[in-house]
Amino acid sequence: MAFLEIKNLHVALEDGTEIVKGVDLEVDLNEKHAVMGPNGSGKSTLAYALMGHPSYEITEGEILLDGASIVEEAADVRAQRGLFLAFQYPHAIPGVTVTSFLRSAINAIRKAKAGGQDDPIPVKEFRTEILAAMERLKVPRELASRYLNDGFSGGEKKRVEILQMALLQPKIAILDETDSGLDIDALRIVANGVNELVSSEMGALVITHYQRILNYVTPDHVHVFVGGRIVESGGPELAHRLETDGYEAFMPPEEKAA
Amino acid sequence: MSETEIVRGIRDEYQFGFKNSDEAENYFFKSGRGVSHEVVEAIAEHKQEPDWMRKFRHRSLDYFLARPLPTWGGNVAEIDFDNIYYYIKPTEKQAKNWEDLPADILDTWDKLGIPEAEKKYLAGVGAQYESEVVYHKLQADLEAKGVLFLDMDTALREHEDIVKQYIGTIIPQNDNKFAALNSAVWSGGSFIYVPPGVKIELPLQAYFRINAENMGQFERTLIIVDEDAYVHYVEGCHLAGSMVRVRDGEKSIEEIEVGDEVLTHHGRFRRVRDTMQRRFEGPIFRITFAGEGYRSLAVTPRHPFLVASRELPREHNRWFVPEWKEAWELGLGDYLAVPASIDLEQDAPTVAGQEVLVGRGRHAAVAERVDVELTRDMCRVMGLYVAEGSVSANTSYLSFDSATHEEHLRELVEDVIEGAFGLETWTYAYDNREGRSVRLSSARAARFFAQTFGRTTDELRVPDWLFALDDEDRAAFVRGLYDGEGSYDALLNLHRINQTNREVAQRLRELLLSLGIRASLSRTERAAPRRPMWQLAICEADNPLFERRVLAYASTGTGPKKADVVIADGYCWMPIRSVEKIQANCKVYNLSVEEDESYVCEGVISHNCTAPIYSSDSLHSAVVEIVVKPRGRCRYTTIQNWSNNVFNLVTKRAVAYEDATMEWVDGNLGSKLTMKYPAIWLMGERAHGEVLSIAFAGKGQHQDAGGKVVHVAPKTTSVITSKSISKNGGRAGYRGLLEVAKGAVGAKSKVVCDALILDEESRSDTYPYIRVDENDVDLGHEATVSKIGEEQLFYLMSRGLSESEASAMIVSGFVEPITKELPLEYAVEMNRLIQLQMEGSVG
Repeated sequence: MAFLEIKNLHVALEDGTEIVKGVDLEVDLNEKHAVMGPNGSGKSTLAYALMGHPSYEITEGEILLDGASIVEEAADVRAQRGLFLAFQYPHAIPGVTVTSFLRSAINAIRKAKAGGQDDPIPVKEFRTEILAAMERLKVPRELASRYLNDGFSGGEKKRVEILQMALLQPKIAILDETDSGLDIDALRIVANGVNELVSSEMGALVITHYQRILNYVTPDHVHVFVGGRIVESGGPELAHRLETDGYEAFMPPEEKAA
Repeated sequence: MSETEIVRGIRDEYQFGFKNSDEAENYFFKSGRGVSHEVVEAIAEHKQEPDWMRKFRHRSLDYFLARPLPTWGGNVAEIDFDNIYYYIKPTEKQAKNWEDLPADILDTWDKLGIPEAEKKYLAGVGAQYESEVVYHKLQADLEAKGVLFLDMDTALREHEDIVKQYIGTIIPQNDNKFAALNSAVWSGGSFIYVPPGVKIELPLQAYFRINAENMGQFERTLIIVDEDAYVHYVEGCHLAGSMVRVRDGEKSIEEIEVGDEVLTHHGRFRRVRDTMQRRFEGPIFRITFAGEGYRSLAVTPRHPFLVASRELPREHNRWFVPEWKEAWELGLGDYLAVPASIDLEQDAPTVAGQEVLVGRGRHAAVAERVDVELTRDMCRVMGLYVAEGSVSANTSYLSFDSATHEEHLRELVEDVIEGAFGLETWTYAYDNREGRSVRLSSARAARFFAQTFGRTTDELRVPDWLFALDDEDRAAFVRGLYDGEGSYDALLNLHRINQTNREVAQRLRELLLSLGIRASLSRTERAAPRRPMWQLAICEADNPLFERRVLAYASTGTGPKKADVVIADGYCWMPIRSVEKIQANCKVYNLSVEEDESYVCEGVISHNCTAPIYSSDSLHSAVVEIVVKPRGRCRYTTIQNWSNNVFNLVTKRAVAYEDATMEWVDGNLGSKLTMKYPAIWLMGERAHGEVLSIAFAGKGQHQDAGGKVVHVAPKTTSVITSKSISKNGGRAGYRGLLEVAKGAVGAKSKVVCDALILDEESRSDTYPYIRVDENDVDLGHEATVSKIGEEQLFYLMSRGLSESEASAMIVSGFVEPITKELPLEYAVEMNRLIQLQMEGSVG
């Protein structure tokens, strides 16, 4: 049984429009999956719905995390159970420093792990961990005392997302278009981060439009996502086929016509 | 005045203050409700103020009476000016040492890390307690520098010339209706004078609180920062709180609802007007006492109890002089009290009535009234029912158990029950055990007893109307109970009554007390599944009385004369056995009670907590006047968290001369309506003014806050930053006035006002008025209104933060530009208050 199991997942917007139309996917620890699809295929919707965004309704299907359904849980509980989403467009929280945000988030996860008892991370330990992670992910020190994502460049935001991933130690990390808007150096750093973290403790689901990031993060499984469905799954070679053939080749006949 | 008179005086007027001795001059002074020239005269008279201040007050009152209520801002029409006490002087004297401060203030400071900070940061501390500064401390070096930090009353006495020179000059007494009111009735407040060139790097602090219901606080603050001097003044305000004997029993305090009737210190029942709960973190006092050894009171330090202190053995025979003392002050040697008798304020009933449902064969049951005449013997049989009676599960028959030899009891029951219900009883002999029972097959009788006293052991109860019976009838009831469950231990010369129902045992003890018989109640654990046994032991000293009055036989026994527990002046006084201080982080509760302002909780009388719980709206109308002379600098910081029914209408104004700097930092939480616009008049060239304000409006609250800057001189600069947050239907607004007078060439000003609205019901308003009479100026104004975005919340929640944690984080980020200006402990406090507001546990 994989750590994350998605069964026949259907997701609709509040107005009832169905965006994700039946997805089956299993992501286990120590696995790297890539979901590749064109713009508007519903990739980001899938990511948001997995994390529990209130605007997306799961109309059918099941999401199991470590064997337990999380469909009814809010985002905070999903996070506490080990799910993480690196956002395509992380939001700014003015007035809250990266450091104080990270400490609160770490403590929220620790509290959940301790069965609801406060178990704050000792200041020294926190400091050591955050500094080490920033060093590894080449996040400039000054970012730690700036307000979260407030006035950050695209690259800074993405790096801080990966920094959060490293510190919160999720079981399954979903990366939503993390490669977009990154220059090559930033892309390499982010990709290295993912490669380092995927282990027997974590699996990753990389959602992307381009094949570019897959030059740095070699996926174990590639899924082609078109029209709200996974239309084909395979190994890393599938990504290369996409590179040459484009998404056209994978579209069902009626959508090609449209 | 004789001691008896003192006792009576306290019982009648205790709610006006915490009297602490029988010296006449310590008597509190309190004006009547409403304001008039007589009240103003009385205040001036009481304070023995100079004639010019007396005139100042009277003139101010004329202005107040003449001015209409403002029609802008918030709704002030609800203030009932006639229902407010304008002056209360507590008996507490000014505390001189840190240790003398009330414990919950200390605890709050403790929580915020202030005591440690004191050594390093605090220059002096003043606290306002019921209109009067009770504590002032000024570090020696400051004193040596010539800094004056006094309460206003003392300042008026000792530095009359300075006060006279400045008071009412910054804010004229007819400036506005509320400033006029304050000028007429002011009391308390702080006076600070910083001599030329003196820099106070350390903030001065004062804590303010409103304590008494319906009492407006009209403090007056005057700060004069002389040339080249600097001062930072910080002010704060807090809530405190605590934990009941209701009609016919006890109820846990968290279940008490408005309208429930509770027993008060007058031994009567009064309705609960308001309930309150809050989170409390800090020391809690656990107190045990004689008489009911199983109980332990657990209360917050400031919870007041009715107490008598007898520290010296030789005082043993003195009268008990009751006073209200707070938990932290209590110790061995103090006696807690419970009313010795309960006055139901009704005539002794002659019948006990009960509507019972009685079936009529195949037809639906109908309600029928059963009235039972309360003869003395019936009272005794009722007592016996509570001890040995029962009603069958289908409520078809009534039964009284008795030991085989208790023929006399069976005869009594037969007579009384047959007489009352007009039916014949029958006697049932048990096959498998000793004893007989007298039974009556009557649904009316069975249901009457079941409904009046309960059917099963768990349900058993002793209704309060018994307390309205005359002494003999009450004694008869107790006798019936003793007939069933009492015993006499000849070896110990001890009468005991055992009960498995706690409430019955407690009522029984109260009944005994009402007969002047002391009894102690204890709890004995028994092996499961048996439940604890409640044992009532008659105080040995009262054996003769008990035997004569209750058991109705001429007692020959004599007990010891002395006993721990004493009945005097209508109270039963019980010595404290232990006081323990424990750390707690929990919810605490308190009640406010109509008229008597007290309630019996855990078997002892406690006052409504001094934490503000107001049934009616209270008014806080302060005036703060500040003069900053050339090159001087002053920062005045206030964080206020008023109770939700306080009208907080404060006039704050400063004038800043050449090259001087004035900064207002103002945090407003709580209150029903706050109207506060700290003002700065920039009178000298290059003077600089800053107003930073935060307003948080929750449910039912309206915060109308802002700032006002008037540029009079050239090259003056100012910044107004306002942050308002509204939640749960609250209304927060910015109202600002920026004025540039003709000739203020080169003035520069920037106004930033941001509003954050947390939900659809809440509201934010912005009223930025700008009046400019000079061309060469540079003004900027920015206003933003934002809502907490679903996306921001989702982002934070996806990192594991709960929704309320996430919202609190967004809000504290929003106000961060202001909190970062606060001294550390205030920033911590501000964030904590915001968190509490976000959790909804405040108000």
